[in-house]
Amino acid sequence: MTTKAPINERLHKRRKNKVKLSGWDIAFNIFNYTILSLITIACVFPFYYLFINTISSNELVRLGQIQLYPREIHFENYVQVFKLSGIADATLVSISRTALGTAWTVAGSAFLGYLVTKHEMWLRTLWYRLIIITMYFSAGLIPWYINLKNLGFLDNFWVYVIPGLVSPYNVILVKTFIEGLPSSLEESAMLDGAGYTRVFASVIVPLITPILATLCIFCAVGQWNSFTDTMMLMPSGKFYTLQYMLYRYQHEAQSLAALVRTTQNTGAIANLAVKQTALSVQMTVAMVVVFPILMVYPFFQRYFVKGIMIGAVKG
Amino acid sequence: MKRWIALIFAALIVAVMFLPAVSIHPHSQLAEDVKSAFPDSLSLFDVATKGSGALPTDKIPALGSMDMRGFTLLLGAGLLILGALLCLVKKRGALQAAAVLSLFSVGVFLYEAFYLGSLSESLLYQLLLAPQAWIWAPLVIAIAQTAIVFVLIMKEDSLGLSDSAWRRISGALSIAAAALMLLPAFTSSVPETITDNPAAAKAMTISSSVITQALAEEPILSAIGAETGAFDNVLSGDIAALEPLSADGNNIAGIFQITKQSATPDVLLIAALAFLVLSGILAFIPAVDRWFPLSFSAIGTVFLLIQSASLMSTTSADMFTNASRQLYRLGVGCPTLVPIAMAVLSICGCMCAAVGVRAANSPYFVSPIPKKSALRLTALTIAVAAVVMLVLPGIQFDFYKPGKTKSVSTVLMSGADAVTLTTPADITEPKDNKGKTMYSEEAGKTEYTDLMIKDKMQRIARTYQITTIMILAFALCGIAALILKTHKKLPIIFFSLALLLKLLSYILTAAGMPTDVGTVGGTVFTYVSFPLLLFAAFFSNFAHMEELPKKYKLFLMMLPFLAAAFLFSYLPLYGWSYAFFNYKFGIPMSQQEYVGFKWFSELVMNAGHRANMMRVMSNTFAMSGLNIITSWLPMVFAILLNEVTKTRFKKFVQIFTTLPNFISWTLVFSFAMAMFAMDTGIYSKFMLATGAISEPVAWLNSSEHIWIKMWAWNTWKGLGWGAIMYLAAIAGIDQELYEAARVDGAGRWKQMRFITLPGLLPTFFVLLLLSISNIINNGMEQYLVFQNSMNKDTIEVLDLYVYNITIASTSANTYSFGTAIGILKTVFSVTLLFAANFVSKKLRGESIV
Repeated sequence: MTTKAPINERLHKRRKNKVKLSGWDIAFNIFNYTILSLITIACVFPFYYLFINTISSNELVRLGQIQLYPREIHFENYVQVFKLSGIADATLVSISRTALGTAWTVAGSAFLGYLVTKHEMWLRTLWYRLIIITMYFSAGLIPWYINLKNLGFLDNFWVYVIPGLVSPYNVILVKTFIEGLPSSLEESAMLDGAGYTRVFASVIVPLITPILATLCIFCAVGQWNSFTDTMMLMPSGKFYTLQYMLYRYQHEAQSLAALVRTTQNTGAIANLAVKQTALSVQMTVAMVVVFPILMVYPFFQRYFVKGIMIGAVKG
Repeated sequence: MKRWIALIFAALIVAVMFLPAVSIHPHSQLAEDVKSAFPDSLSLFDVATKGSGALPTDKIPALGSMDMRGFTLLLGAGLLILGALLCLVKKRGALQAAAVLSLFSVGVFLYEAFYLGSLSESLLYQLLLAPQAWIWAPLVIAIAQTAIVFVLIMKEDSLGLSDSAWRRISGALSIAAAALMLLPAFTSSVPETITDNPAAAKAMTISSSVITQALAEEPILSAIGAETGAFDNVLSGDIAALEPLSADGNNIAGIFQITKQSATPDVLLIAALAFLVLSGILAFIPAVDRWFPLSFSAIGTVFLLIQSASLMSTTSADMFTNASRQLYRLGVGCPTLVPIAMAVLSICGCMCAAVGVRAANSPYFVSPIPKKSALRLTALTIAVAAVVMLVLPGIQFDFYKPGKTKSVSTVLMSGADAVTLTTPADITEPKDNKGKTMYSEEAGKTEYTDLMIKDKMQRIARTYQITTIMILAFALCGIAALILKTHKKLPIIFFSLALLLKLLSYILTAAGMPTDVGTVGGTVFTYVSFPLLLFAAFFSNFAHMEELPKKYKLFLMMLPFLAAAFLFSYLPLYGWSYAFFNYKFGIPMSQQEYVGFKWFSELVMNAGHRANMMRVMSNTFAMSGLNIITSWLPMVFAILLNEVTKTRFKKFVQIFTTLPNFISWTLVFSFAMAMFAMDTGIYSKFMLATGAISEPVAWLNSSEHIWIKMWAWNTWKGLGWGAIMYLAAIAGIDQELYEAARVDGAGRWKQMRFITLPGLLPTFFVLLLLSISNIINNGMEQYLVFQNSMNKDTIEVLDLYVYNITIASTSANTYSFGTAIGILKTVFSVTLLFAANFVSKKLRGESIV
């Protein structure tokens, strides 16, 4: 018996469990577990539902006979969807904008977040406020659109990347994080003759990787998910992203049907079970779009909590 | 272990070779049997092994003339695999060799992808081939492998060679790159398969090197009669049909001819050559500081890269006349590997030089410029750049036809003109695009005559001339003072004077023209010259100091970010002025019709607009309101989750309920479409089965309960995510409180009620206030994807409404109205935010902003 051991969480729980549960407690537990399970199922089921509909026979899907489990499983939809004109290019654009946009925004936020912690900067408070204040107002849709048009960003791939350089919210996160670091590290590096950029690259960046990881996830998810910018800023149809392709498939069913007709070799695929329909294409593209998020999500889940915690402490 | 990663890339490159890279759609005019002879798609492997043989050359012989150049693919793959294998060799220099090989394969793949892509632009290929994204896959893999190998080199720090060896290598590479300019960069030839006379076809082969393109007259192979469509016969390989076109019956000599086009000397290419040669020579002279070869080779490389990109794309536009281009793409007029090889060599040279400098300076970085003169040199460079800007075209006249608002004539005037102009009389009056005078010759017919306009232009030009000469003189004096170091304050005085004068000149010239005739404004060079002069003054001020003060150094680092914030956040505010005009696209602001507060008053006075606004606002407030009223749900969810004692279950629930937050609204709509489809969705099936409904209901295509439906989706997406904040807050509650409560006999319910809940209320309160201040900004993505013609009336929130009536609508007259709504919206939400902040300060003594 180690009576002097500190009361840690586990002991705590064990003791709590020893307390005999009352009838109300048991009833509450049953209620609680049931309702939480139901919510979880409600959150997961749509993903599952969509997935079984993409791998089941397209004919059965069309008849509405795939509801709870897949039947006549095949993966032809996934093979065919990349042959649709534009999908492969859209994938490339989506991946490029996610990679470049995330790198650019996170690098920019990190360096800017570092700069605004430097009190010796000329008129620091003014510049900092000027940057933060952009979070609270917006000029509105039309001025935003015409401004980008005037700057030559219409039909330009870089509109996905470049305007992300200054994002006030990220700057606040990084600034708060850096202010929590001991300043002695930086000072000693400065004494050794390192300049600001050197201190940033060699001292600050390794220390702020947790917050940078969080920013990376938010940014990457944002980039990957965004489609209204494509819709408004790409009038001539260049640089479509996967998300926007999906949006178009959903809202222009006729053009999708035509696309499916022209693309697929009707002679070769006589089998209705694997023959593509507008519905199957739409659902498969949706799965293709959600897939990277499902893949990345479990690995980075732990960063979310950290990120939102820091976000709660606003600077 | 890490070296094995490279092998994975080698495996990947083999794998992507088998993916379809080019899809084929046979032309509809082709015969059925010919059409069926085409494969569906070509993989890179097909291209590499069979070349043009992958296409049915026996049916269409002309296809044989199309060179698929599979050997470059094999070469690239071979180089890449060799590079990957070399990574496994643990010998000095093996990694470096791997890096060079991988880099070369990048070049080869780049070339191949461009080449295959460009084939599809030709007449024949447009009908047949469509490159897929996989065409770029080898390139991506090669780049990734190169990057990995470089990381490996840096990690293992086995730079291996001495710095002087690196230096010599870089010199050799630069000279090699320069020497490649003598090799043929282009070949163009007549496809032998479309002629009777192979020997003559061969004689028509032209190859031109980079240097001839830069300096000499360019030989061009062109075809007569290509524009008549006679070459369509090539599709079927019908040579006889070409004969009538030919003057002498010999279908080669008559149809094809070589002409010379006098090329303007390509300054960039010549400069690139000069820099590369110079850096090559300097690299072998040990007495020269190692920074010089590095910077020269870097400059040369940049020039070369700019040019080799255009060399690669020349095939499609410049090399051949437009009409003959289509034919020539059959197999002629292709860039060779030379431009790419040149670029790769010079990049390698530059990198080697950089590695050498790094090795020599290791472990401390030594700047080539002594700190004391660094700022003076900066000032000097900026000042020279400013002078260059002043000499370039700086003033632009735009004229409109009387009564019209579209610019029809533009006259540019440069600083160089201003200096060399003997008299402003050299300025000619504006002519429209047909070369006619734009205003009437005599007075009385219109308000202005050509003579009056010309007079005004001359006056402006005179002003511009005088000021520009003075500005240039000041700037040059400033530069001289900087160089001579005569007086510390002299340069800054000169540059400041130049800047002031430039501003004055801008104002004077811009004000000189009546706005209904045209506008006078600066060009981009003028606008750039302002900050340049400012910086020149700024830096020359510090030239005499030991170092720039830290506060300014930091500010300079901040400057690009401020510029970005200005461009993307503050500059749009200028657009608020559209709300006071009848804004139309493509017309300068001075020509827009000013309408004052018309749009604002229309919001209230115009019955149609008012009804629309009422509808939209009620949608907005209802849907935001529903979300705000139920904003306690995540809190309750978090409390319930916290009561779960099984950690694994808790984690499981948390992970999966957060997931919906990370998918886009388009995906949510995909779910909705699948699950709530009228006939097939699980919702219909379930409801029919239980007997709740008797026939399928159009769940999505209806306006019934749309607010609640939208609220439900929003909650589905945000519940788990919203709970995270509360879970974090719960973790922050002092455990001793629970301890004490238990001792006092409080049960689970009481602990929840009296400890957890009060502990969460501050967080809840802040979030509530924030969501109230955002009540009008509920975004448009969700409502946009769920919107359709059935539910449009009840789903349109403010943001969506503005989008629908402006960008999404075909009429271009609503932009001003949309802007007016945007202004009101911003003002309203900023006010709300301040109010919320005020409430928070009063109640909790803490601000939320």
